[in-house]
Amino acid sequence: MPPRIHNQRVTNTLLPYLSSTSTTASSPSISRLPSTSTAPNGSSRPFSTTPAPQSRKWRTDMFQWLAKEGSELKSHVPGRTNYLTRLKERRARGEEGANSKAALTHPFPLNPYFSAENILSEELRNEIHARVTGRNKKSVRAVSVELGVDMRRVAAVVRLVELEKRMKSQNKQLALPYARAVHEMVPTTPLHKENRRAHESINDLPVHKLTNAQIFHPIPESRHFTRADAGRVFSAAPAQDLATAAATAADPTAAVDRATQQPGRIERVGKGEFETQVLQPAEARIPHPHLVALERYRLAHSEEPRESNKYYRTRLLEQERLEGEQRAQAAAREEQSTNKVAPAASRFEFRFRDVEFSEETVGHDGRGSIAPGRRYGVPSEDRKKGQVKIPTSVVV
Amino acid sequence: MVLRIRLARFGNKHQPFYNIVVAQARSARGNKPLEVIGTYDPVPKTNNNVHDESASARPVKDVTLDQSRTKYWLGVGAQPSDSVWKLLSLGGLMKPKQKN
Repeated sequence: MPPRIHNQRVTNTLLPYLSSTSTTASSPSISRLPSTSTAPNGSSRPFSTTPAPQSRKWRTDMFQWLAKEGSELKSHVPGRTNYLTRLKERRARGEEGANSKAALTHPFPLNPYFSAENILSEELRNEIHARVTGRNKKSVRAVSVELGVDMRRVAAVVRLVELEKRMKSQNKQLALPYARAVHEMVPTTPLHKENRRAHESINDLPVHKLTNAQIFHPIPESRHFTRADAGRVFSAAPAQDLATAAATAADPTAAVDRATQQPGRIERVGKGEFETQVLQPAEARIPHPHLVALERYRLAHSEEPRESNKYYRTRLLEQERLEGEQRAQAAAREEQSTNKVAPAASRFEFRFRDVEFSEETVGHDGRGSIAPGRRYGVPSEDRKKGQVKIPTSVVV
Repeated sequence: MVLRIRLARFGNKHQPFYNIVVAQARSARGNKPLEVIGTYDPVPKTNNNVHDESASARPVKDVTLDQSRTKYWLGVGAQPSDSVWKLLSLGGLMKPKQKN
């Protein structure tokens, strides 16, 4: 039941007496309490013992701030950020503070650990699109390394620029004033023709959930324990034999190439549903493993920069060729296993795909997770809290 | 008792999704069937990817089917329901049903 609120004035004969005692009482602790602050006689709530709401004061303060100090933020200077931190820095350190780096990069004055990242400038974004789709096409991977932009961002830029072109060709209205204003107010990475400047770190190692475990794994001092061994420990795989370990140590680039070029051949551990690939070393899991190979080559052949460039380009082309081949194979496999039927009497195309109902897929109790169809006796969690149904990542 | 190959509805409101199941004819739609031999998604999907040249011009409906199990059950006398009959005839496992 909601609380009943009486709006009429309280007319208790005892109350004047109580209020008179509270005003005459010389106790400083009581007079300091906000609840006993005596309102002037004209107030709308003379007998209320609840503390006066602060919101009115806060609102007044806000409008005062907006009229005086905050009015500076009302319009921005093109090419410079318009963050609240500037006002705080100026108050603390004067004009020098207002032009400091923190004032230009930190939008939230109370959170010094957050600094806003640059966004792509219009020229850089157009350059990315031109390099990926232009006359001498380059792969997303190559453009990512050239311009220092993450591969996922490169792919997103290409998609969005295509979308923009399509909207233009359809004479749809673009939110250009908005885009212009945003580009004026946030830091952007310009396109440098000569001195290349990276937009962001492109070779970040994604955190694999297997590596979150803290494992105490004693090994003899005499043993050579590498990142590959650590990956095997994390995924609870048996230690590799000495001959394989020696071969890997002799040619680490080849070992990484095996993992990146034939991901289907990576060793698997675990049984049934829990079967997973053995965790690969960090140099195989980063987005651009070929950069590590290039660096190794450079160190080995430091006096031949031209040769190392050639080495890099050949490897990149080889990698692209292999990726293209694998894509084509996957598409052919898909095509072969799919029977496409387009009946004349229907608007739709029916795609028949093969599945398998067997002991292996369904399991002995009929509840296997790779069985065809929706599962019986397993609650659907799609209405539960925290289920994310929109795509959260971009597949490049 | 008659065995039927029929559809069992899953999915939410306005989002139908069917398992193609082999079940006793008199059992309820939501009962556990003898076998799940495939699925049928009646919601057509349009491909919006402008770069995909292989994309079909028609909206696509996905069907998955275990061909060998279907043939086996048809061979031992399981009766497809009308809607499954249509799907099986599209998939080339049966002749289209004669309309009276």
